[in-house]
Amino acid sequence: MKSIVALSITTLGLSLLALPSPLARPLAAQDLTDVAEIVRRANLASYYAGADGRARVRMTITDARGRKRIRQFVILRRDRSDGGDQDYAVLFSRPADVRNTVFLVQKHVNKDDDRWLYLPALDLVRRIAAGDRRTSFVGSHLLYEDISGRTPDADEHELVETTDTFYVVKNTPLDPGSVEFASWTVWIDKTTFLAWKMEYVDDTGEVYRRIEALEVAEVDGYPTVTRMQASDLRSGGHTIAEFSNVQYDLGIPESVFTERTLRNPSRRWFSVN
Amino acid sequence: MKLAQRLVEFSIRRPKTVMAAVLVLAVALGGQIPRIIIDTDPENMLPADQSARVFHNRVKQDFTLYDMIVVGVVNEEDPDGVFNPTSLARIHELTRGIERIDGVIRQDLLSISTVDNVTQGGPGVVRFEWLMATPPRDRASARAVRDAAERIPTIAGTLLSEDGKAVAIYVPIEDKSESYRIAGEIEDIISGFDGEEQYFITGLPVAEDTFGIEMFKQMGIVAPLAGLLVFLLMWFFFRSFALVIAPMIVAMATVIATMGLMIGLGFPVHIMSSMIPIFLMPIAVVDSVHVLSEFADLYPRIADRERTVKVVMANLFTPMLYTSLTSAAGFASLALAPIPPVRVFGVFVAIGIILAFILTVTFIPAYIACLSPESIAKLQREKEHDSPFLARALARLGPRAVSGAKLTVVLTVIVVVISAVGIARIRINDNPVRWFRESHSIRVADRVLNEHFGGTYNAFLVLEAASDADGDHGTAGEIDSLLEEAATARDVDLIADWGEIHREAVAAPLTEHLDALVESVFTKLDEADDLEGELWDEVLVVLEVAQSEAKIFQTPEALNYVAGLQEELIRSGLVGKSNSIADIVKTVHRELRDGDARYFTVPETSPAVAQTLLSYQSSHRPDDLWHFLRPDYRAVSIWLQLKSGDNQDMLRVIEHVARYVEENPPPDGVTADWAGLTYLNVVWQNEMVNGMLKALLGSFVIVFLMMLVLFRSVVFALLAMLPLSVTIAFIYGLIGLVGKDYDMPIAVLSALTLGLSVDFAIHFLQRARASYRETGDWGRTVEELFAEPARAITRNAIVVAVGFLPLLASPLVPYNTVGFFLFAIMAVSWLVTLTLLPGVMELLKHRLFAGSPGGAE
Repeated sequence: MKSIVALSITTLGLSLLALPSPLARPLAAQDLTDVAEIVRRANLASYYAGADGRARVRMTITDARGRKRIRQFVILRRDRSDGGDQDYAVLFSRPADVRNTVFLVQKHVNKDDDRWLYLPALDLVRRIAAGDRRTSFVGSHLLYEDISGRTPDADEHELVETTDTFYVVKNTPLDPGSVEFASWTVWIDKTTFLAWKMEYVDDTGEVYRRIEALEVAEVDGYPTVTRMQASDLRSGGHTIAEFSNVQYDLGIPESVFTERTLRNPSRRWFSVN
Repeated sequence: MKLAQRLVEFSIRRPKTVMAAVLVLAVALGGQIPRIIIDTDPENMLPADQSARVFHNRVKQDFTLYDMIVVGVVNEEDPDGVFNPTSLARIHELTRGIERIDGVIRQDLLSISTVDNVTQGGPGVVRFEWLMATPPRDRASARAVRDAAERIPTIAGTLLSEDGKAVAIYVPIEDKSESYRIAGEIEDIISGFDGEEQYFITGLPVAEDTFGIEMFKQMGIVAPLAGLLVFLLMWFFFRSFALVIAPMIVAMATVIATMGLMIGLGFPVHIMSSMIPIFLMPIAVVDSVHVLSEFADLYPRIADRERTVKVVMANLFTPMLYTSLTSAAGFASLALAPIPPVRVFGVFVAIGIILAFILTVTFIPAYIACLSPESIAKLQREKEHDSPFLARALARLGPRAVSGAKLTVVLTVIVVVISAVGIARIRINDNPVRWFRESHSIRVADRVLNEHFGGTYNAFLVLEAASDADGDHGTAGEIDSLLEEAATARDVDLIADWGEIHREAVAAPLTEHLDALVESVFTKLDEADDLEGELWDEVLVVLEVAQSEAKIFQTPEALNYVAGLQEELIRSGLVGKSNSIADIVKTVHRELRDGDARYFTVPETSPAVAQTLLSYQSSHRPDDLWHFLRPDYRAVSIWLQLKSGDNQDMLRVIEHVARYVEENPPPDGVTADWAGLTYLNVVWQNEMVNGMLKALLGSFVIVFLMMLVLFRSVVFALLAMLPLSVTIAFIYGLIGLVGKDYDMPIAVLSALTLGLSVDFAIHFLQRARASYRETGDWGRTVEELFAEPARAITRNAIVVAVGFLPLLASPLVPYNTVGFFLFAIMAVSWLVTLTLLPGVMELLKHRLFAGSPGGAE
């Protein structure tokens, strides 16, 4: 589930819909023991379902006092290669003040991503050179990296437990100075390879951040997280992202994801109805 | 007087019973003391429901603000200040260490290594990154950190000093009362560093919490020291160890029982009430010294201890009762003050005074009755060579006071006039940091950090739009007519659906009506067919326009107003630095526009502001925004950094802002108000000064009425008021002239002044009357007055004045103040009682003693 957007899709497994009730599933014939393979499959399941995809996303950002803010956008994804580079485009529709703001990412596995931002009210296209991917996604409790996926090569993986339903993998960053966590643990569904839960531990050994899949549905044959929650356990705030109108394999052209089209986003591809 | 006699006789007959009762009282109430709850929070000077305090707490919640400890790191040696690789590495490590301390709000900690930088990454490229993710390796990169930080207005002057010599770390904490512990843990981290950097820890929470802790330490050192000195002085005067033990027991029992009672009843021991022992001791000792002094003087003549005690008590019971009642009234009047800790303090000191009186008239006679004949005999022997000097000096003073009457009166008038000038100059001011002496590390840190930075004292100026009465910003009417028109013209009827949505939305909290409406309409829109969808879309537009307009602090007008107010504050020179949402918007706008300084402005439209803020929120710390802006965009908080926490300085800022807002009204419906500890201190100070003044005037009247009852003579009552009036005038005049600020301890001490300085006058006048009634001769009356009574008064004055001098050695200024006050009260009221009173009586003797001997009673 890691992916908010990518609305995970999985080519494997035939997960039933909604609800993380892993108990209902048939036991996997044979547990995997190679952690690299588990991580690889999870990465594909969460971020590379289909050749491309589209969804309408509604994010409800709630702070510790229960005050809510809404962000709504359509997100498009197109894979350049499975498990490799991909493109994302986000078009905001709400709140009205940020309508038509566009955010474009060309994700690279082996180098820094390229990001662009179009701000219609200022009529500005800017490239965003982010020092790292662990910055907030438009003020929510999700980070860019949660959306486009953390490169598996960035961490050392350890299969700490295999339960009836999950592979529990602990990930330790190879470059601890580049991230704010000491390690993170992910619960990977044995059947769908979607991440059910991710917990981030800080330098005091405390879990300070958690991401959970709240609802999963099968869309076009791909198990897809349709509702997820990211919680900041320090501040007490959380963000719930809901995915609707999810579609895969639409044949979205590459031209939709270029800097040139930022000012005139394609009505056709961003329209979800 | 019947009661008095019976009480004394009972005590003499059943001394063991009395002593056992005192023991039981002390043990029973003293047993409550371990249940002590300590409250060192000056915020509690205001009742929990006081409006300024309620607002302060609401602001803290609305903007997720916490009390902050400020840690400063200064490097004066290095040419680049702290911006060299070594210092920055230490700052980085220190920050990481502080982050991990329990009770620190980690995600809101502000340090150059935890904040974001927004800058240029080449043409058309904006870069959001940590300002200092890892310590720089070389000098050039260290300087680059400084240069980057200086470009961010919310960082420059707040997290680093203009001269680059210092950085500050703002440590938000969950609970103020943990500041002392957290400051200690920060010191532990620092103690592991060596090098040329200096470290300072300050901030109001630390000052306040540290004061509380040190105060209780002082209670354990200074109070016993004062007790010991009082004991030694009494021993010097009375030479009988056995006898002098008695007042000490009375004082101890009084303090223990009073504190025990207060704690047992569940009152927390606040800064004020921790001073109760210091206040009760002199008062408890004073009565006993009167008794002992009289006893020591009379016993050699009467030679029977029981009869002596009875005579002493017959002489002293009434004046002691009245002095106790007046002192108690003085303190009880503090119950009128609007400050809860002061009320508790006043009431329990009053209870303590009454208890001390009861113990004096029961325990002391019982104790004397139990004394062995030898120790009394010793007293008699010692008596023969005791204080001949004091006796002779006082005997000579009497006639001179009488003959120099006119001169004394003239001198007094001059002193009072000069004092009046001083009183007019009194400056009401307080600052908890100044409760420490100059050399205290907190004062030093305060001074150094405020030299380098915009200021370590925080106040928050909150601009808030009035809440919308119906929560839908007037959209309901517009939408109703839109739907009605559509129902007839387009044959699409959504009136019933809308009615339902609207009813549901109204159930939501007022501020969320619009959001709820938008949400519901959005759902409808999804489900609707084309025709209905079109109409819902129109409804949505109306709602979204209203939603956008409701966000007052997203409009350029409102943000420019905030910026203008900030500029005015800096121009006034009263504020070191201010940070607001306008600074953030302007900075991000500039960086979006290629870092061009001309674009350090608020963008021209509300959506442009919204999109600037959206960009800002794509950072590591998006939530920093909500410390300055309420999420509904209808209130902002401007963080002011002040170099001084003095009430006077804060008041000037408040007045300046009030004038500016008056002359430049904010956008419609927006009002300005204050929050922050520096501001709260001003509020309770004001309340206290007014409250104290009322209490002082009130108790003045009460004391006068009691004097009327006691003396049944207006002239005598007025005379009795003389010493305390002159003493109060003199002391407060002195404070005004010397320029010492009128602060919390001084305000509270007025009650003590009143109580203690009326004591001497009552004893003196009561005896004057009694003597005149006996002798019928003014000359002989003066002679008698300047024998035992004057000696008792003098001994008392010396015991209390000198006994509490150890308070001057305390590192806490309020303790010094109390020590000085006790000395001054004793000295002045002694002088006035023994010179001015006989002088004025001489001038008025025909009126005073007309028709006597006989008189009242």
